Amino acid sequence: MRTLLGWGLFVVMGPYPVRILAAQERTTVGGYGEVHYSNPTGPKTPPVVNLARFVVYLAHSFDDRLALRSELEVEDARIEGGQVGGEVALEQAYLDYRLADWITLRTGLVLPPVGIINETHEPPTFNGVDRPGFDHDVIPTTWREIGVGAVGTMPGGGFAYRVYLVNGLRADGLSAGEGIRGGRQEGRQASFANPSLTGRLEWARPGVKIGGSFWYGGTADTNAAVGTGSFGAPVALLSADARYENGPFALRAVVANISVSDAQAINAAYGRSVGSRIAGGYLEGAYNLLRLFAPASSQKLNAFLRHERYDTQASVPAGVTRDRSLARRITTLGVTYKPTWNTAFKGDYQLLRNAAGAGESELLSLGVGYQF
Amino acid sequence: MTLALALLLLTAQSPAAPPAKVAASIARLFGPGARADTLRVDTVSVLRVSRADSLLGFAAIGNVLGKDQPITFLVAIDPTDRLKDVDILVYREPYGGEVAYEPWRRQFRGKSASDSLRVGEEIRSISGATISVHAVTLGVRRMLAQLTAWHQSGAIR
Repeated sequence: MRTLLGWGLFVVMGPYPVRILAAQERTTVGGYGEVHYSNPTGPKTPPVVNLARFVVYLAHSFDDRLALRSELEVEDARIEGGQVGGEVALEQAYLDYRLADWITLRTGLVLPPVGIINETHEPPTFNGVDRPGFDHDVIPTTWREIGVGAVGTMPGGGFAYRVYLVNGLRADGLSAGEGIRGGRQEGRQASFANPSLTGRLEWARPGVKIGGSFWYGGTADTNAAVGTGSFGAPVALLSADARYENGPFALRAVVANISVSDAQAINAAYGRSVGSRIAGGYLEGAYNLLRLFAPASSQKLNAFLRHERYDTQASVPAGVTRDRSLARRITTLGVTYKPTWNTAFKGDYQLLRNAAGAGESELLSLGVGYQF
Repeated sequence: MTLALALLLLTAQSPAAPPAKVAASIARLFGPGARADTLRVDTVSVLRVSRADSLLGFAAIGNVLGKDQPITFLVAIDPTDRLKDVDILVYREPYGGEVAYEPWRRQFRGKSASDSLRVGEEIRSISGATISVHAVTLGVRRMLAQLTAWHQSGAIR
């Protein structure tokens, strides 16, 4: 259970007339984390165990309308000067002002509302020990930038939206293998030379959620050789996703298309082989095996199969020869055991393939994760 | 622009559940003209809803914690202790507001305290609203059990 500070009077059943919540301040602590074991095939690749993430969620309500929400993350257990890996970072930190049921104004370090995992990334919410490769190389999870915007749920209608104006990506970080990932600025002395727009509209029913997301913004920063103006060397992203749950069955699918129309100028300026189009998606199906063995249980034992296909050089500008090993096909087969809805024990086996047939491997992973 | 601003000001009401919201909820669930009297059991207030001489049911208001804010909800039962409906009176968080949608709430209708109410089984979840779905389902289950126990013991009648 979440720790509540300064909120002791709240009980499950309140008296009538409704005891109005005093505009008193309160602080809420939550968090999530995950530990991974990964064992790749091939010589000289010993298994690795890693405390991949330990994240503290801290929220504070200043009054009934104004709240701070934040996530502070430690990756790979520790950071040490001069050593590879490890990160201490703010994943999100923003102020929300609840204007009405259907609109909350937000400003700070926010998550672009693109795809499924970027916003909802707590380990018990997805199958597989690690996040899908697609959510690393195409949608650069966890993607966060600084800006302002509005979020809300339309009353009665089933629609929810989020829209932000944030700082842009930086062209000098774009790459052949990881697309726009290295272009993220993540709230660290970020250049605001290229404002970007991002948003999402989604529709929900019990067991169904369908969403569409976009990002549009320049990346040139101050390099006139790459582009000029606020939207110089634009990155245009469109994505669609769907989630369906019915009894023991669960399905999810995501597709994304990213257009980097000035990839040629970016490559010329920074000596890269950035694709002019980055595209792909995945489809995942899962079945709760406890439905067969223990139908009365509220626990879950989900067997799942996911197939990802994506290419960070789906199209290339003049001067770049397509590297077919970047056209990846990842098949993941595994199980997720959830004794409670917010804890998960995971195991999976991945077949990492690509169109060139180069450097292909398999990966066995085990993991535990929680959120509260 | 002016219209949008006026709409904003109109809807920017207090976030706590005003009694008017409770009254509207009772009228919606039990029909216009339903009369609600407050009964006290221990320290909790329960609404006894009636029309003329006939008992229509009972209702109570509760709060559960979402990700970081309380969710204020109302549970109503009929005289045979079946759940009539759930209403979300106040939802304060920027995510998960889908629990207020009628298609989600109506899954609880007709349930009794002896029925199983599991998320993902009897109660379908909503992706991206997982915390709120679990919190409200747990709150409804507890309140349904409590109202039923009070009704059957004669503490409310």
